[in-house]
Order: sequence, then structure tokens, then C-alpha cells
Amino acid sequence: MAISIGIVGAGTMGAGIAHIAALNKFNVSLYDINEEVIRRSAERINFEMKRAVDKNKITDDDMKQALSRIKKRTNINDLDTCDLIIEAVLEDIKVKKDLFKKLDQIAHHTAILATNTSSLSVTSIAAATKKPERVVGMHFFNPVYMMKLVEIVKGARTSDETMKSATAIAEQMGKKTVQAKDTPGFIVNRVARPFYGEAMKILGENVTSLEEIDRIVKRSGGFKMGPFELMDLIGNDVNLSVTESVYEQLYHDPRFQPSPIQKQLVEAGMLGKKTKQGFYNYDDK
Amino acid sequence: MKKQIKSGKAKIKSESPKSATVKSTQDEGISQKTKHQSEKAKPIEQKHLICLLGDVQLVKEYSSVFQEHGIAVIELKNLNSLKTSAKKITGAFELSLVSGDQKRKNLEALNTTLPERVPIITSTLTETLLSQTQSLQHRHRFVGIAAFPTLFASHLVELTPSLHTSKETLDSVIALFTAAKKETATVQDSVGMVMPRILCQIINESLFTVQNDVATPNDIDEAMKHGTNYPHGPIAWGELIGFSNVAAVLDALYNNHHEERYRVAPLLRQMAIAGAFWKEKH
Repeated sequence: MAISIGIVGAGTMGAGIAHIAALNKFNVSLYDINEEVIRRSAERINFEMKRAVDKNKITDDDMKQALSRIKKRTNINDLDTCDLIIEAVLEDIKVKKDLFKKLDQIAHHTAILATNTSSLSVTSIAAATKKPERVVGMHFFNPVYMMKLVEIVKGARTSDETMKSATAIAEQMGKKTVQAKDTPGFIVNRVARPFYGEAMKILGENVTSLEEIDRIVKRSGGFKMGPFELMDLIGNDVNLSVTESVYEQLYHDPRFQPSPIQKQLVEAGMLGKKTKQGFYNYDDK
Repeated sequence: MKKQIKSGKAKIKSESPKSATVKSTQDEGISQKTKHQSEKAKPIEQKHLICLLGDVQLVKEYSSVFQEHGIAVIELKNLNSLKTSAKKITGAFELSLVSGDQKRKNLEALNTTLPERVPIITSTLTETLLSQTQSLQHRHRFVGIAAFPTLFASHLVELTPSLHTSKETLDSVIALFTAAKKETATVQDSVGMVMPRILCQIINESLFTVQNDVATPNDIDEAMKHGTNYPHGPIAWGELIGFSNVAAVLDALYNNHHEERYRVAPLLRQMAIAGAFWKEKH
């Protein structure tokens, strides 16, 4: 029988995970408290899959079957038969802990509970349940259908078996997996901090302009995007909050010190592409 | 400072191509070619002859890229061989990454042996150009470069003038790189410059991550390639660059800024010392 996956939270990440899970033959229950959010999420999945059909990446039939595997749910109790439940709600430790407490009661006793958190402690979220050995981090990257990686994160009490199952399922979704211990930023969000932080430090010292730093990083380093255009794409608010979270959790290790330059942009509402202004101006584009 | 830059310019002017040619014709008894070259305005002509001195790895990288673009190269094994070819050289590179006695000796030898019109390009990752050239004559003819292993195969070269560098020198160096099909970015004279500084910090963090037992080196490299599109995994990249080079740039940044953020990961330090032995063990 096909493995069934419940997804809690139908925002960008939830929709992305539902999309690839359904395409890879998992039965998906996509839950959100808000019916309107689910409706928009289903539209987005539809749109992305159509694009994939147009590009000949999947067939029309693949798309129809995948869509038929996604059940829209507005009652969380309907997730009781899922083998794996992936949480993708907002990054707020209290919200997540409350949710996991509830999921612990609803879910089948053999189900795995996964969090898609990018910056909170998996261990802390797991502690809200009575079965922390069955709680694991499954960190997908945005946009989910394009980015190949899932970080499988081992909380302090996560069992090896749970790690294995979560890894196997992510791989069945066509993803590349890496294993990380539950530490601030896991792998990617930690090792990538200096890409942004050092670039802003260099800018702050007036070594050169941000346009030039982006050009150098792309043309000399071979990176696809420069740090400033990437921060604008991610959103300066999101990028800053990840940095702040890692910095706080590591008790102010100076390597992760947030940049006043980015803080000011956030305070000014210059969040990047989404507000048409960030490090760059996007008015004409 | 302005005065010094001006005097640098004046010097180049006083040794304008014409007088340089007369001199070289007298000295060497050549040549049609040199006369022809002298009619152009810029000190570096289309017929380049580059000499390279310094770290073996960097000399090899630079040599092969220049030759690919039809630029003649002399790889100097020692300073004695410099004298025999000095008159024909149009540009000199000192590519010792770490500043020290050897680099100073090399710069001095290049500076005293080569005609004054020849620009000298020196790696400026562990010491600023200003500091490297402070006690030298002809400071106007020096340009700094972010010479860091693996980067010269890419599209862009980072350059820096010091406060003493003349505009003519910088322009002629940019022209040389244009001939080698490279774009250039001119940045302020600072330790680590831009790309090496960011790259070393990423590599350092990836080794802290190994050291803290968060993940295996292989998983870290895979994660950075597939989770955020890095062109190479940072640890494999560090290995190509040489961990001792990474540590040297970080140490220089640490000493320059006195900031904890540039502290070298103890594991990186060990790898820098152990070199290839580390690879056998892991």
C-alpha cells in the first residue's frame, strides 16, 4: 500500500512538499486551518505542474494522477492514518510545540512526525511529544520542486530508525539527503551565513560597492547569484531572522553577528524583491 | 599622498615610451619591433611577455591561462634568471600568497632589475599593497591582485591600487588582463580583498561544522551544492586551494581586524599543518 503523508500548513513550503510527494506516488493529505489558503495552494500546485507538463518534464497523465492523490483537509483529525506527518507552519517555537502536542495525540502510534523548520530546535519541538524518538527534522529548500536537497535532522532523542525512515521517504520523493545533528542552522543555513555576513562586512568597510561584490562573487567565484541579489530574493527580513536565530542560539558567537546594514533595510521596509526595494531597486523590472 | 601619486605619474611621463625605446635600443641593440611598439601610448604593448614568480601552484595556474590566450610567459625558477630576460619583460607577477622574507626579496629584485615602465603585480591577500611597497622605490608601478588558487580560471580578476599606484600603471595592468580575456574589478587595498575573503570564511565555517560533529565532510559539501547551488562543496574547494592558504588569509584578517569572527577553526589549523596526510586519515 502506498505510504500516506500528511502535511500541516499549506503555505509555500507545504504546497511544494505536497507537489513533489504526490508526483512521486505518495498519498497526500494537505491540511490547513484556513480553507482559502488550501484553495490557493492547490491552484499553485496545479500551475506548477502544468508548467512541468509544458516543459515535457512530466506527462499530462502524471499530472492528473498526482493531483488526484492530494486530499485537501481542514480537519486536523483526518491525519490520523498518515504514516508520516510533515509540519510546515510558521517559524514560531510556541506554535510548533502546541501543534506537535496535538499531532502526538492524533497520529497513529507508529507514525513519524517531521518538522520542516529551518532555524528552530528539533529537539525542543520533539520534547512537546511523548514519543520524541519518532520526531525528526526534514528540512526542504525553497522552491521545493527545484531544490534537490533535504536535510534530515537528528534531534537529541530521535531514533536511528526514524532517521532511516525519513531518509528513505525523502529519497523516494526524488531528493538528495544529508544527515545533520540538531544544531543551529543545521548545515546549509549555518555554512551559508558568512556568504551574506562577510559580504555585508566588506560592503560596510567600503572595499567596493554591492553591485561589484555581486559581480565578483559570480564572475570570479562562479556562484550563480551574488550575496546581495540572493538576500533580496530570499527577503531581508527572512535572511536576518535566520541569522539572528543562529546568533541567539549560539549565545552570541561573533562569527554569526547580524549586520546593522541589513537590520536597517528591514526597519525601512526594504525587504527585497517582494517589496520592490532592498539592496537593489526593482521598480522598473 | 596626492603629491606622491602625482610624482608617480610624472615619473612615468618622464620615462615615456619614446625615451624608454631609445634606452632599450642603446642597451640591447634591438630592434624594429621595439621601435614599432614605442609609437603607441601605453607602456604595455600588445606583444606581452609576462614573468611569474612565487607559489608553484599559482604560477602554474597563471602560466597556463596566459598561454591559452597567446601571452608569452617566463616562469622564473630563481632571481638569477630574471636578469637575462629583464629587458623584454612587459609585466611581472609576484605570486607568493603569504607575505614574508621571500616575497619581500622577490619584490625588491623585480623592482631593481626591471625597467621602471614595467608594472609589477603582486598578490595582496595577506598584506595590503600599501604595506608591501611602503619601503620600496617606484611604488607607483605596483598593483595588487587577489591571486588565490582556483580563481584564475574564472572570468574575473580582482585588482587593487595602493595610494601610490599611478593611473597609467593600473590602466596598463587592466589592458594586460583584457588581452587575456579577463574582466577586472578594482577594489580598495584591503586584506583578503573580496572573493578570497568570503570564500575563506565559508570554508572555515564548514570546518567548524565538521569539528562540532554536525555532519560529515561529504554531506556538508553535498548540502551546499544542492541546497544553495554553490559551485563546489566548500571542503573539497578548500582542499583544492590548500588549507594552509585558507588559514593564512584568515590569520591575516584576524590580525588586521582583531575580530573573533576570523578565528581559524582548530580542525582547519590541523589540516593546514598536516596537508595531504589529513586526506589519508579521513
